[in-house]
Amino acid sequence: MSQVEKKAGLLRRTSSSKKPLKEKVVLMYDEIFAKEDPAKNNPRFWDELFLMKVNLEYLESKLESVDGEDVQRIQDNINSLFHHCVQALGEEHQIKVVNALQTLCALFRGVHQKNKSASGFDIINMLMGFDKAEQRMKDLMERLDSLLCGDSSESLKSLCLKLLLCLVTVTDNISQNTILEYVMINSIFEAILQILSDASSRGQHGYDAVVLLALLVNYRKYESVNPYIVKLSIVDDEPTLDGMGMVVHQALTEYNRQYKDKEEENQGGFFSTLTSMVGSMFIADADEKLSVQTNEAILLALYEAVHLNRNFITVLAQSHPEIDIAATPTTTTPTTPTTPLGTTPPSLDMMSNPELPLDPNLQTSNLLITFLKYASIVMQDTKDEHRLNSARLCLIILTCIAEDQYADAFLHDDNMNFRVSLHRMPMRHRKKAVDKNIPSRPLVCAVLDLMVEFIVTHMMKDFPMDLYLRCVQIIHKLLCYQKKCRIRLHYTWRELWSALINLLKFLLSNETTLLAKHNIFHLALLVVNLFNMFITYGDTFLPTSNSYDELYYEIVRMHQVFDNLYCMVLRVSTNTGQWKEAASKVTHALVNVRAIINHFNPKIESYAAVNHISQLSEEQVLEVVRSNYDTLTLKLQDGLDQFERYSEQPKEAAFFKELVREREGGLF
Amino acid sequence: MMEDAELDLSPAHSDQNSPSPSISSSPSLSLPSTPSSSCGPPQATTPPLGVINEGVAELSLVIDAEVAQRACQEVLQKVKLRQVDSDSTLSQSEEGPDAPPSDPEGPAPGSVKSARRRQRHNPSKQSWLLRLFESKLFDVSMAISYLHNSKEPGVQAYIGNRLFSFPHEEVDFYLPQLLNMYIHMDEDVGDAIKPYVVHRCRQSISFSLQCAWLLGAYSSDMHISTQRHSRGTKLRKLILSDELKPAGPRVRRDPLALTPFCPAAPPTVSPGPLGGDHSLSPTKRTHQRSKSDATVSISLSSNLKRTASNPKVETSQDEDCSSSSDSLEFDSRPPVRLAPQREFIKSLMGIGKRLATLPTKEQKTQRLISELSLLNHKLPARVWLPTSAFDHHVVRVPHTQAVVLNSKDKAPYLIYVEVLECENFETSSVPIRIPENRIRSTRSVENLPDCGMTPEQRAGSFSVVPNYDNDDEAWSVDDIGELQVELPETHTNSCDNISQFSVDSITSLESKEPVFIAAGDIRRRLSEQLAQAPTTFKRDPEDPSAVALKEPWEEKVRRIREGSPYGHLPTWRLLSVIVKCGDDLRQELLAFQVLRQLQSIWEQERVPLWIKPYKILVLSADSGMIEPVVNAVSLHQVKKQSQLSLLDYFLQEHGAPTTEAFLTAQRNFVQSCAGYSLICYLLQVKDRHNGNILLDAEGHIIHIDFGFILSSSPRNLGFETSAFKLTAEFVDVMGGPDGDMFNYYKMLMLQGLIAARKHMERVLQIVEIMQQGSQLPCFHGSSTMRALKERFHMSLTEEQLQLLIDQLVDGSMRSLTTKLYDGFQYLTNGIM
Repeated sequence: MSQVEKKAGLLRRTSSSKKPLKEKVVLMYDEIFAKEDPAKNNPRFWDELFLMKVNLEYLESKLESVDGEDVQRIQDNINSLFHHCVQALGEEHQIKVVNALQTLCALFRGVHQKNKSASGFDIINMLMGFDKAEQRMKDLMERLDSLLCGDSSESLKSLCLKLLLCLVTVTDNISQNTILEYVMINSIFEAILQILSDASSRGQHGYDAVVLLALLVNYRKYESVNPYIVKLSIVDDEPTLDGMGMVVHQALTEYNRQYKDKEEENQGGFFSTLTSMVGSMFIADADEKLSVQTNEAILLALYEAVHLNRNFITVLAQSHPEIDIAATPTTTTPTTPTTPLGTTPPSLDMMSNPELPLDPNLQTSNLLITFLKYASIVMQDTKDEHRLNSARLCLIILTCIAEDQYADAFLHDDNMNFRVSLHRMPMRHRKKAVDKNIPSRPLVCAVLDLMVEFIVTHMMKDFPMDLYLRCVQIIHKLLCYQKKCRIRLHYTWRELWSALINLLKFLLSNETTLLAKHNIFHLALLVVNLFNMFITYGDTFLPTSNSYDELYYEIVRMHQVFDNLYCMVLRVSTNTGQWKEAASKVTHALVNVRAIINHFNPKIESYAAVNHISQLSEEQVLEVVRSNYDTLTLKLQDGLDQFERYSEQPKEAAFFKELVREREGGLF
Repeated sequence: MMEDAELDLSPAHSDQNSPSPSISSSPSLSLPSTPSSSCGPPQATTPPLGVINEGVAELSLVIDAEVAQRACQEVLQKVKLRQVDSDSTLSQSEEGPDAPPSDPEGPAPGSVKSARRRQRHNPSKQSWLLRLFESKLFDVSMAISYLHNSKEPGVQAYIGNRLFSFPHEEVDFYLPQLLNMYIHMDEDVGDAIKPYVVHRCRQSISFSLQCAWLLGAYSSDMHISTQRHSRGTKLRKLILSDELKPAGPRVRRDPLALTPFCPAAPPTVSPGPLGGDHSLSPTKRTHQRSKSDATVSISLSSNLKRTASNPKVETSQDEDCSSSSDSLEFDSRPPVRLAPQREFIKSLMGIGKRLATLPTKEQKTQRLISELSLLNHKLPARVWLPTSAFDHHVVRVPHTQAVVLNSKDKAPYLIYVEVLECENFETSSVPIRIPENRIRSTRSVENLPDCGMTPEQRAGSFSVVPNYDNDDEAWSVDDIGELQVELPETHTNSCDNISQFSVDSITSLESKEPVFIAAGDIRRRLSEQLAQAPTTFKRDPEDPSAVALKEPWEEKVRRIREGSPYGHLPTWRLLSVIVKCGDDLRQELLAFQVLRQLQSIWEQERVPLWIKPYKILVLSADSGMIEPVVNAVSLHQVKKQSQLSLLDYFLQEHGAPTTEAFLTAQRNFVQSCAGYSLICYLLQVKDRHNGNILLDAEGHIIHIDFGFILSSSPRNLGFETSAFKLTAEFVDVMGGPDGDMFNYYKMLMLQGLIAARKHMERVLQIVEIMQQGSQLPCFHGSSTMRALKERFHMSLTEEQLQLLIDQLVDGSMRSLTTKLYDGFQYLTNGIM
């Protein structure tokens, strides 16, 4: 709403300076708030009103100050104002249309501010009058639709979208905004799509359109049938879907870029802080804020598109060669001639120079890659509620992606290799990986990397159990696909195995604190079952025969973790308590891991004894493993390669309700 | 040109209608420079031509003036030849006065003597010429040859007409020659050829484009000032202006009308489709589309433009853009008949140009994939791959399969193209677009109308509609289904020896009895499967094409078909093509023609030499397309990836030396080596490093890249002096220099050379005509043709030839330069 506010701000200044002699428009507002019909004395009253510059502040404050009893009194006039606003939207005179749009905005806001506790019906009654509400809203939506779809000026279109956003976000909880019922009946879905399908309008209004769509989709999502959901789910027009993807892509890219800038700022030496100081004088405050706040509205839009529309999945892998060049940063740091030579960090230069499309490190990107990078940033810090929610949403989106066959197909496509440089949390015990060494691999490797990264970086007291569950499930879904399609991914599985084993270790050592809040057995079961997948189905998806040996090596090497886990779950399952059943499931799941440990440990010990070696090398252990497979029998477990599909309802409904509520408060 | 002709003809036309026998044999009229004025009169005199007269008159009423004109001239010629024929049997002296009309220099006073001499010479020649022309032996090759060599406008005109009677595909082979003659030879030849070309252009879009491309390419060597006004450029413009649309059915009969001239000719193939089909197909198409469109049930408001349905390749800035109404006119309105294909080719070339600006292979590959995925949005359309042998529409480019090929500074790339075979790509309706991710969810598409809502429902209260979220679950079930239910099915289907285990896992669900498995079995299966899988190359970002090319074609087709939304259609086919941008493929085309010719010669003479000419499409002097050789990788890639000697690689791929498989592969190798050795010798193919020699899955070698042939060699260093490439490794695969197979190799070469020698003219002619007006490096110098001819060694006896072969083979084997050249390539290009 910045534009409207800016206008209001301008007006504020002028109005305050001319306080003694009231503006004409203010006088006219006063007339509306009088008992009389303003048009009674002046038949051209409404015509004139919309020629005046709107004084939003005054109008809103006036609406707010109306007393309970006065409401009845002036309702007719307000209804009339609303009616004439809607009519003015059809005027040819652009000024009138603009003023009418702003007035409507003020009306919606003012009335809602005043009547926070009032029911939606009262608000409708006050604005439009019950009997006429349906017709008025129909007219309003039709006018807005034709303004958005017609060839009116861009700023007008932008104002229309702002009005709609204002209407949608005027209540704290979108689902309690009864007026939206009319927006459901009189759909503007097609107008939104049209904006997204056209390149130029997408550039100007794409963001607003996508946010608006995401919010409308969330209106009474679970209580009634929302036509926007139905419509969004069946859009199959590729340019439109692409357009939607591009808007999301651009927003996420912008976020990633700002984050990277910030990070570099923090890491840079004296000079970069200096330039950032200079630079920040030129950067608008709004941009600064954006880089801190995660882009939840856009993320929600991405989720809805991925979840609802199967055709959108193809957009994820759609790369836009032109976007990389178009999206060059706008906040170039001004280099003053006095800068000492060679102190400018080269990366900064590269980032900000739009003339370097031939940079060999510049990658053709796509929405999925941008999203993964974004997720890697968001997931770094899940301490505050906002970021936790964003991280959760990211994982939910990834869950949807991992379940989709088509998405899986391109994730695993050997021909679509990319270098995805994920952001990694700086940690004491590891160095920051140099981006350039990342090999070009199928995209699924980046997803797995991200999951591994999450697993190893979030083992903390305030354990994000929910995120861990999602994370492990995503890995499981990807493995199921690989097993089913016999895709032998050349991935360093060892990193995953050791991350998972470390996770089990963490669960064990924090058993008591964690058990107070979470069912750690469920997570442990999922993790153990991932190992079971590798053990029993490894032949279908492991890349080399050596990797199977390495799996055994890793299990045998870390046998103590599994031993302790077994002890723990055995203890819990033999006691009576709420975890009895959950724990006993884990004991059953551990049967093969234990069989492996019990089979190979004595063999390794005797090998060491026979050869008089105290410490066996990895190669020696692998040798023992290789020569002793045949005497080991495993038990086949059921349902390892099956998973529960994601469904928003009922499990996630609460989360999304909450998310939308927050967004309403936080965004505008 | 058309206009000129029409103007010229109008008097002639009236002449025809008023027969004037008195001047029928007036020789002075047949001045070659003004052929139109001479064509009318004589026809009425000869009774057998009555039929034609009718046809001609009819033709001239319809616009095709040129054909009519030619026909007239042919008539005249025929009369003359007849007369000459009959007269010659009587006495030679009498023919004198009759002959001049056929003499092009007739009116020139200075050349009277020579004209006389020719006259004296001509009669007998012409008499048996006619017999030859009318004999069954007279084929396209001869026609082209006479068209090129004969200076007689009459003969040329006759042959120009005679072209109509040959099967299209036979003439098509010589299209480069025809057009090159049209561009670079004198007016008469041009006039003789033009009617045929124009006629064929009217009939076929693909022929039109072929002509336009070739005309452009072969005109490019002319000086820019002459080029602009040259015949070739004019004809090209005419074709591209799309004025040569099929006229009414009457015109289409003209080849039929002409056939009586040529008794030996087989019935002309005239694939002229019935006009009725044109108007029908578009309506049918849109109907289908709307029916299949799920959106209809939800009645998306019409103001949402459905650009995706636009089958045209143009982007919105092009003149007739978007909106489905255009696609309606697409079939019926001729002006855009060439446009989609031209745009398609243009976008492919544009991609190539943009790729060339990127520095690394990896970036090129990524860019290629993303560009192609955008191209996909505009498909299916009425576009096709000209290198293909059957009619089809391109429906999808599986973009992730495309690879950038190895090249230093240009960016040739290989794409796979999914097509649907059709009866006739000009008239069959363009397939309906199926969204990319509909591979697995065909069910959900049909179900949509049920779970969506009807417009009536929507108009009323929308609470009638079932809750959406549940529906979503319902559609999504097929994904779970695939993951769970299909499991036993797919496994038993694919390879049951490997996956009994997985079947077990299902049965265990039922029996609930613990099933035990041996860890050893899992490990064994893993290594077995890895071993069983056909040897694949390791992915190398610097050589992305190696992996793609190594994959067996059948495997690739199956894989792509599975992943394609169109894969379920019975007419689905996979094609591939290499797009070359910035490369002149005219030499490649010449080489292709020579190879094809030699192949047919060897086939005719039953010599089991094996070569694989691959199709070339010349789009301009610096762009084109190549039909890739499937199931083949370069020797360089073989050596780099396998790190084995060629023989060891054969052993690895085909089995032990005594096995059937190995022996077959070895024989294939020898036969192909012999074929290509001869070709390399005859055409002086240079730049024979291992990157330019492919090895296919059956053991054949295939030479590619004929950039240096005849008179040109790389950098003119005279590096490769040996006749052809025959390394010790090759000889090892053949079983060593003393083996039977090696002798077989030499024998094959001898037989091949003898056969080629027998039909030398057929080969020479192809090259000779293309030399006309060409600046190609392969024609550099003056001795190209002579040297080529000499390499056929017409004068040697067969024993001497055998000696020659032995010498060539010995020389090549001992040649240090081959080795040197390989080393040189390794140093400069990294080619092993």
